[in-house]
Amino acid sequence: MNRLVTVAEMTLRELARRRGVLLLLLLMPLTFWLIRRDSYVGQSVRALLLGISWAVSTAALFATSAARELEPRLRLAGYRPHHLYLGRMLGLWALGLAISVPFFLLTVVDANNLRYGGIAVAMLCCVAVAAPFGMVIGVLLPRELEGTLLLLTVVAMQMLLDPADAGAKLTPFWSSREIGTWAVDHTDDGYLTRGVLHGLVVTVLLIVTVAAVFAVRLRRRRHLHHVPLA
Amino acid sequence: MNADDWLRAFAAELYQRRVGGDTARHVVAEAATHLREGGGDPWLVFGSPQAYAAAIVESIGTAPGPRPGPVRLHARGITKRYGRQVVLRDASLTVRAGQIAAVVGANGCGKSTFLRICAGLVSPDAGEVTVSGRLGYCPQQGGTADFLLPDEHFVLVGAGQGVARGLARQAGRAAARQLGWDAENAVLARHLSGGTRQKLNLTMSTLAQPDVLLLDEPYQGFDQGSYVNLWDQLTRLRDEGRAIVVVTHLLNQLDRVDMVLDLTPAHQGGRS
Repeated sequence: MNRLVTVAEMTLRELARRRGVLLLLLLMPLTFWLIRRDSYVGQSVRALLLGISWAVSTAALFATSAARELEPRLRLAGYRPHHLYLGRMLGLWALGLAISVPFFLLTVVDANNLRYGGIAVAMLCCVAVAAPFGMVIGVLLPRELEGTLLLLTVVAMQMLLDPADAGAKLTPFWSSREIGTWAVDHTDDGYLTRGVLHGLVVTVLLIVTVAAVFAVRLRRRRHLHHVPLA
Repeated sequence: MNADDWLRAFAAELYQRRVGGDTARHVVAEAATHLREGGGDPWLVFGSPQAYAAAIVESIGTAPGPRPGPVRLHARGITKRYGRQVVLRDASLTVRAGQIAAVVGANGCGKSTFLRICAGLVSPDAGEVTVSGRLGYCPQQGGTADFLLPDEHFVLVGAGQGVARGLARQAGRAAARQLGWDAENAVLARHLSGGTRQKLNLTMSTLAQPDVLLLDEPYQGFDQGSYVNLWDQLTRLRDEGRAIVVVTHLLNQLDRVDMVLDLTPAHQGGRS
């Protein structure tokens, strides 16, 4: 447990010190919100949710890429793979929650007639999915630029696809859009249920993928035999 | 060469000739006092560091070197290909407790790959490695976190072994001092100079008290004093019974090691 907490803490410390990047990441959801603010609150909420997803997954991508060289030696220092990816994920989830709180308060103060509980759940889904999603991209693509471009493509696709389209359900942040619709348009509870279920399934799938990649990358090699001290 | 440089070179010579730690410190302190009080060029007063160290050894003798202990690292038949290019062919190395092995060779001959295979970070196409005890590894570059303080690196590595935070910090700072670096008031790793960053890298690899220590050109960016400190520390670790493998291309340090593995391919004059 101590190892998990230490990795989570160090992840948070590292990200908190990237102040410039953090500010720019926060700027995107805020800009989305402000651009749509006067026209239609539903669009501004959905854009805000997408902005939070973008911010958290980009932070996850950066954190994962930055740790690529460090992780093998931490493995040698006694960490198991799950300490490393779960610890980092915990740190990123904590960061995501910290980012979401001011934006949630913004919707409470600035928009009327919303199901605020639904907004909170949608934001939780964004954070839950975004952290492992950014990590998956980070472990599969070695360079931050490539990862950022892929992330941008996914977010743009998410924005442009019709949510009613069957293919849209294959995008990672569909859940928050569905819950957002429930919260903004006061639709039936089926939207909430589908959204939460989708968020859970995608989060679990992404965590399993991260776990599999870490297990392969940081595996004990068969040629290396450890024997106790003579 | 000023008096400080001369004293450093003299201290290194004494260590190299296996003059015991306390005795060596005492002799160097006496020479420093003599130079400070009497003044003058150390080359005129004592002669070359090598000659004076030889004279000291003749008069006081040397501490017997510890006998090599049991085998700690045994790599045999290591072969590695990248595509069609064979980087390593049937390379073998056995290092016992209390020994330093140097891995040398031309650029691109697979020195770092060999070390990464020994650390279990890369799989070979053939061959096996047997390690007895705990393994420590210091990469040639990277291996640190840009946005963490040195103390936080020590805590992070220490937690892997279940070491409490305070103890990990103390151990890290003490190991850093052996390299002539005060890690207590240091800045974020990204603001450290190349040499100091490498000291952090090296300190992290020794923090977990490894029985087998693998170092990939650990002295990059070091100044002369740090370089001497590094070899002093490696000698001390060897005398404590660690098995150490150093990838190096600085041949003048080879006389401070117990064995050499030359990975230069045979057609280029290698000895592997």
